[in-house]
Amino acid sequence: MEQQQKKESKQSEKPQYIRAYAAMVLSRTLDKKIVSAQRQGRVGFYTPTMGQEALQVGVSMALEKEDLVYGYYRDVPMMLHRGVPIETIINQIMGNSADTAKGRQMPSHYTSKAFHFMSVQSPVASNLPLAAGAAYALKYRKKKNVVITTFGDGATSTPDFHAGMNLAAVFKLPVVFVCENNGWAISLPVERQTMVEISQKASAYGMPGIKADGMNFIEMYKAARTAIQDARAGKGPTLIDALSYRMGPHSTSDDPSKYRKDEVTEGSEKDPLVIGEKLLTSMDFADDKLLEKIRNEAIKTVDEKFDACEKIPPPDPLTAFQDVYKNMTWMLEEEVKNIL
Amino acid sequence: MTSKTMNMVQALNSALDNLMASDDRVILLGEDIGTDGGVFRVTEGLLAKYGPERVLDTPLVEVGIVGMAIGMAVQGLRPIPEIQFQDFIYTAMDQIINQMAKIRFRSGGEYDCPMVLRTPYGAGVKGGLYHSQSGESYFAHTAGLTVVTPSNPYDAKGLLVSSSQGDDPVIFLEPKRLYRALKQEVPEDIYKIPIGKAEVVQSGDDLTIITYGSMVPTVMETVKKNQINAEVLDLRTLVPVDRDAIMHSVQKTGRVVIVHEAPRTGGFGGEISAMITERGIDFLYAPILRVTGPDSPVPYRMEEYYVPNEKRILNAVNKVMESA
Repeated sequence: MEQQQKKESKQSEKPQYIRAYAAMVLSRTLDKKIVSAQRQGRVGFYTPTMGQEALQVGVSMALEKEDLVYGYYRDVPMMLHRGVPIETIINQIMGNSADTAKGRQMPSHYTSKAFHFMSVQSPVASNLPLAAGAAYALKYRKKKNVVITTFGDGATSTPDFHAGMNLAAVFKLPVVFVCENNGWAISLPVERQTMVEISQKASAYGMPGIKADGMNFIEMYKAARTAIQDARAGKGPTLIDALSYRMGPHSTSDDPSKYRKDEVTEGSEKDPLVIGEKLLTSMDFADDKLLEKIRNEAIKTVDEKFDACEKIPPPDPLTAFQDVYKNMTWMLEEEVKNIL
Repeated sequence: MTSKTMNMVQALNSALDNLMASDDRVILLGEDIGTDGGVFRVTEGLLAKYGPERVLDTPLVEVGIVGMAIGMAVQGLRPIPEIQFQDFIYTAMDQIINQMAKIRFRSGGEYDCPMVLRTPYGAGVKGGLYHSQSGESYFAHTAGLTVVTPSNPYDAKGLLVSSSQGDDPVIFLEPKRLYRALKQEVPEDIYKIPIGKAEVVQSGDDLTIITYGSMVPTVMETVKKNQINAEVLDLRTLVPVDRDAIMHSVQKTGRVVIVHEAPRTGGFGGEISAMITERGIDFLYAPILRVTGPDSPVPYRMEEYYVPNEKRILNAVNKVMESA
């Protein structure tokens, strides 16, 4: 009887696990597509997310629709899992006229207000104090939502990390700090970034610090769920040290062979997608046929959408000068007249 | 509308009170602004009236105060953070320049950042080099920011209300030397003074003196005492500056002196001067002169040698008037 119940509850988890895996595969497929397009000169720049899929999808699984994400430039898997249309991501990479940010930001700096994904900035960790402020707004309005903020291991050395963590703790705000600890800040290994484990930093701020296996989406989901439940219940912030690995270069402009030997390669046992496949098959949620189908669908979707987005024309040059203020200043109007 | 005699501190306090009473999105945050009422007492009594959810005594972290306020603004509140002294704002400059000023632009207009960053600036209270700086040019140089500085209690209140009820982030520079220097009749109810409009403090024909913030009373005293027939413009807003008011006056007088307390090199006076020559060099009878703080830090004991005074303003006026 008990066994039967266990099996049933497990079966009820199947659709969300399959969906999580599908988002990881879609993200990986898109990642490779963009990198190869960049090599062909069809895309200017990109920061690959390979290796961080399980981590982000695990966090996303624990979020509700109205929760806010103050993320960073490697959060494509999370965005896709949250339901952000793949076109939104590709259009941003292209900087075309359909891009939410009108082609103003370099690739990998996404915005999607519709999915509560705050626009990405380049200076690392500077979204962390904002996440505290956004969480304050939620708390002030007595909303039961939380803010997730993501950042790399390098970000933990910045003043903004300290400011955001301390403020969130002092005001007991519903924020979950997710360190996407991929081991590398461009060329600097995490061992040279800090002399303690990142999760230990939480204790200095009086909040729980959790170490999570960011390569296993189910483990990550469980860790994130605990932290998010606490935040939602008014217990304050948590820091999650999500251990993963940046399988690609920092960006398409980076050559990691200068400073490291790749420790996780695609298709190897440590690849979060391979780990995900094993989890699904061991739970009898998927067989090779289903996995194959998911992979093929992802390739088809990515190819179709990428080609379609590539045909979208660039933005009207005037848009390069709008939205600086709500109404254009006379100074800018004058300059624009000279430029256009 | 009933009015009351107020100094600038009281007028700013009255503006904050009105803003908080009329809009529950207005939140104050900063160091010592709650229980202590702010080191200059601008937020006095507001914690008791509006409670700790709306008046936040924060930890000592400028980058966090500004960053947190930005997050609040992005999520629909109207925060008014205070940086205790403008001299301490620099650790928050990344937040100001790369976040606050750019959120509307970088998100394609999906997000905005309506907030007012208040901070006392300028010399005149014997604060030495870390309690006296005038950094307006740093902010004026950043697209996306509106830069406002009042010179009297009445304007201070009306400009603060407009700043908070606008759609864009504002750097609101309060000349601390004038906090208690002058009293005026100030309405107790809410009112606005438009952003981007200069004020003709005095009409005149012989020359135009363009100034703002802490230097306005010094200029006016000099002009009155020496019976100078000058048109005195108080810019009130530096960005966007009131082009029409400036050009209208320059066309009338043909002679210009610009007075500000900030150092000369890269100072806002250079921008005004360039603007005038670019569009109206034919109106000018004399070179435009600047009277500014020197290109040195503000000294403690010798402060009076740093801040532009009657003698230096008068020298510039005489020089401009001597030119054919």
